[in-house]
Amino acid sequence: MPKIIACYKWVADEADIRIDADLSVDLSKAKGKISEYDRNAIEAAVQAAAAMGGQAVGLTFGTTKARQSLKDALSRGLEEAIYINTEEANEADGAATARALAAAIRKTEDVSLVICAEGASDTYQRQTAPRLGALLDLPVITSVTKMEISGNTLTAVRKLEDCLQTVKAQLPAVVAVLPEINGAPIPGLKAVLAAGKKPVTEFSSTDLGVDLKPKSQVTECKGYIMNRKNIILSEGDTADKVKALAAALRKEGVL
Amino acid sequence: MAGIYIYSESKDLAAELVGFARGTGKPAILLTLDEKTAEELKNSGADKIILITGSSELIENYARTIADLLVKEGAELLAVGATARGRDLAARIAGYLDCAMASDVTAARFADGKLTTTRMLYGGAVQQSEALAGLSVITIPAGKFEPVNGETPVETIELAADNRVSLVETAPIVKQGADLVAAEKVVCVGMGMDKAEDMKIAQDLADAIGAVIACTRGIAEERHWLPVEQYIGISGAVIKPKLYISMGVSGQVQHVFGIRDAQIIVAVDTNEKAPVFKAADYGIVGDMYEVIPALTEALKK
Repeated sequence: MPKIIACYKWVADEADIRIDADLSVDLSKAKGKISEYDRNAIEAAVQAAAAMGGQAVGLTFGTTKARQSLKDALSRGLEEAIYINTEEANEADGAATARALAAAIRKTEDVSLVICAEGASDTYQRQTAPRLGALLDLPVITSVTKMEISGNTLTAVRKLEDCLQTVKAQLPAVVAVLPEINGAPIPGLKAVLAAGKKPVTEFSSTDLGVDLKPKSQVTECKGYIMNRKNIILSEGDTADKVKALAAALRKEGVL
Repeated sequence: MAGIYIYSESKDLAAELVGFARGTGKPAILLTLDEKTAEELKNSGADKIILITGSSELIENYARTIADLLVKEGAELLAVGATARGRDLAARIAGYLDCAMASDVTAARFADGKLTTTRMLYGGAVQQSEALAGLSVITIPAGKFEPVNGETPVETIELAADNRVSLVETAPIVKQGADLVAAEKVVCVGMGMDKAEDMKIAQDLADAIGAVIACTRGIAEERHWLPVEQYIGISGAVIKPKLYISMGVSGQVQHVFGIRDAQIIVAVDTNEKAPVFKAADYGIVGDMYEVIPALTEALKK
């Protein structure tokens, strides 16, 4: 049965990031989540599997923390999951991530389509799908807003800055989908309960026989504070606040 | 020729990347797939323009042969304009080379033979610098570097294309809303708005000050009150108006990423703890259904 692989990343929720006074970044209180854009990639894989009579499989590369993602991912309609579990994921850059994912895909039989989101909500590098295509020597289609599979032919609409481009390729292929491609429904209770019983294949980097050393080294990481005036009118009645704001905007010369 | 290789299908962005390369003191070599672009860039100050000819009109299909060319020429860096096509091409070449890549960098500088880049993480909450050693790839968004001048010779080379992805057709994007990126004033609606009919209060304000209507991702993708082209954020439009006024926008980092270059940011929301106020120059804590119509009246005068 053809397999459709959805790659996803377990990321820290950016809403919980704390920036300390010295601009250091505190992620210790941040809860994890499946990167939002990846939820659309998972849904696209589930829909493609239904259309092709195939099986949708989730694939994630992360540390032990990413184990929490499996049940959530599997409740979204995937039939099984592959989990590359290694602490090296902490230091991984785009090159190492693509090498890890490509190695796991090579170990999986009968893969006809690999679906990624354009980027992860933490790093948003937008490298994974094109890099995977290069490493696996498969055709790549990015910025996909719509796709159709007929037999072995994938036809996709790409949304570029200046046009909509319709392209086609023979499977197997790698695609990167835009979040607007589908609605990524919230899983129901039944799907959540069933998720725990679905199979998970776990790999270490040794199992994959792949070098996960990054090609780039992080030299600095600090919080970014926008320098804004922060004049917030919270007291008084609406008329006074509006009057003060209108006067300020006239003074700024932006009207 | 060793040096910095450059590609962007946008001629303005390609010219800015030449400006970046010249600023490093290294030779700048421009790649293009289009004779017209080669002609338009012949005074861009690059050391050489390489006009690629081959069997595909999709630049992405030359990723492997461009990667081979970079290695053969001893290139130090590939700098690509951060557009949809450019990011795809750049990451595919990085994949073939299995080399370091930094996407959408806000700064890039060479020191001691190493390139250090800076970029945003977590939708702009965090800024990270990375050192890239050896032949590397970066993408750079528009507006970060100034173009330069200088006559540039053109050389034509033929490269093999990977034609496994073929173009069926190209259609212009039918813009359903007004052009956000070019707008001087933007009025933005967030999930704090109760129902689609209430968009009228935003429209009235926009009409009064000559602004374009925009929204958050949820309004476009979950509620479908505006087309997806109208949402602002890291995966949507990134704008730089003189004035941005939001109503009922909580201010998630992904959204704020899209407005960080606005000259003046104004926020109206009931929740005084909403993160949008930290990103705002001016804010009113209050009910948008009272504040916005009053503001519309005040600004009409």
